[in-house]
Amino acid sequence: MSTAMTFGQKQFIPTPPDKGSFPLDHEGLCKKTMTKYMKCLLSNNGNNSLCRDEAKEYLACRMENNLMLKEDFSKLGFKDIESNLKK
Amino acid sequence: MNRLISISRGHINTLKNNLTGSILAPNKSLRDVVIIRGLHDQKRNARSTLNYVVAIGVMTVGLSYAAVPLYRIFCQAYSYGGTTGHVQADDAISNMTAMKNRPLKIKFNADVASSMQWNFKPQQGDITVVPGETALAFYTARNPTDKPVTGISTYNVIPFEAGQYFNKIQCFCFEEQQLNPHEQVDMPVFFYIDPEFTEDPKMEYVDEIVLSYTFFEAKQGMKLPVPSYVKQ
Repeated sequence: MSTAMTFGQKQFIPTPPDKGSFPLDHEGLCKKTMTKYMKCLLSNNGNNSLCRDEAKEYLACRMENNLMLKEDFSKLGFKDIESNLKK
Repeated sequence: MNRLISISRGHINTLKNNLTGSILAPNKSLRDVVIIRGLHDQKRNARSTLNYVVAIGVMTVGLSYAAVPLYRIFCQAYSYGGTTGHVQADDAISNMTAMKNRPLKIKFNADVASSMQWNFKPQQGDITVVPGETALAFYTARNPTDKPVTGISTYNVIPFEAGQYFNKIQCFCFEEQQLNPHEQVDMPVFFYIDPEFTEDPKMEYVDEIVLSYTFFEAKQGMKLPVPSYVKQ
């Protein structure tokens, strides 16, 4: 994307993720929750607002299996969802 | 003292020529002493001027070196020119409200470098998201070869101006990821669009954002030029 001809044009500056990188799920421990989330997205025509519960479940699965740092869900933007999965 | 004060720099020669009848120099030796003292003053003034000029020059050079880190700090503190601050406070995420009146369609694109043998594709073509709401998206990568392959990815957001509002909480970019032979893995991206997106006049007609990831191969022992902010 940045060739010699892009001099003077707007540059895209990538930024690092806030909480770093997700470790890879080699054993597929959270694949079930992922499939649930994908099914929800497909049935809702890609509307993210309706699938936030499944997203929260997936992140909870990641936290349980040590694939993500344990954090309060309100810090991840889920404070409106009441759940007993909250760690 | 009056004699010294009355001698100004430009008038030394005229004084020398003004020999007889001069009140300022009654005899020859006193007149010479007065002229020499004036010359000494002139030299001292010239030297102090030179010192001032040299000091100003050194200060200018020093300031131009110091300007580089100072400017960087200023840009990060005030998010000037699209740079974002290093610290995204957790309370900023927990306090933000979803703007339901501005749905945005995020399209996903996946690419691999030409020499990279992974199969890399997004799991969903697009999702509809509102600013202020966190969203999850998946990519899948598969290693069809018989050898473990290590990849490293980078990303791009189009339109460029929307990139400053696209905040990733966690993803799989800029760090080496290894896939074993014939292994398939799901890679999530957890992100949100900053609610300030709705207040930017340049973003008024932007309804679609494309997020594009590209994977490159990282050979063992190869040192990639990763950005300086990546934690090694």
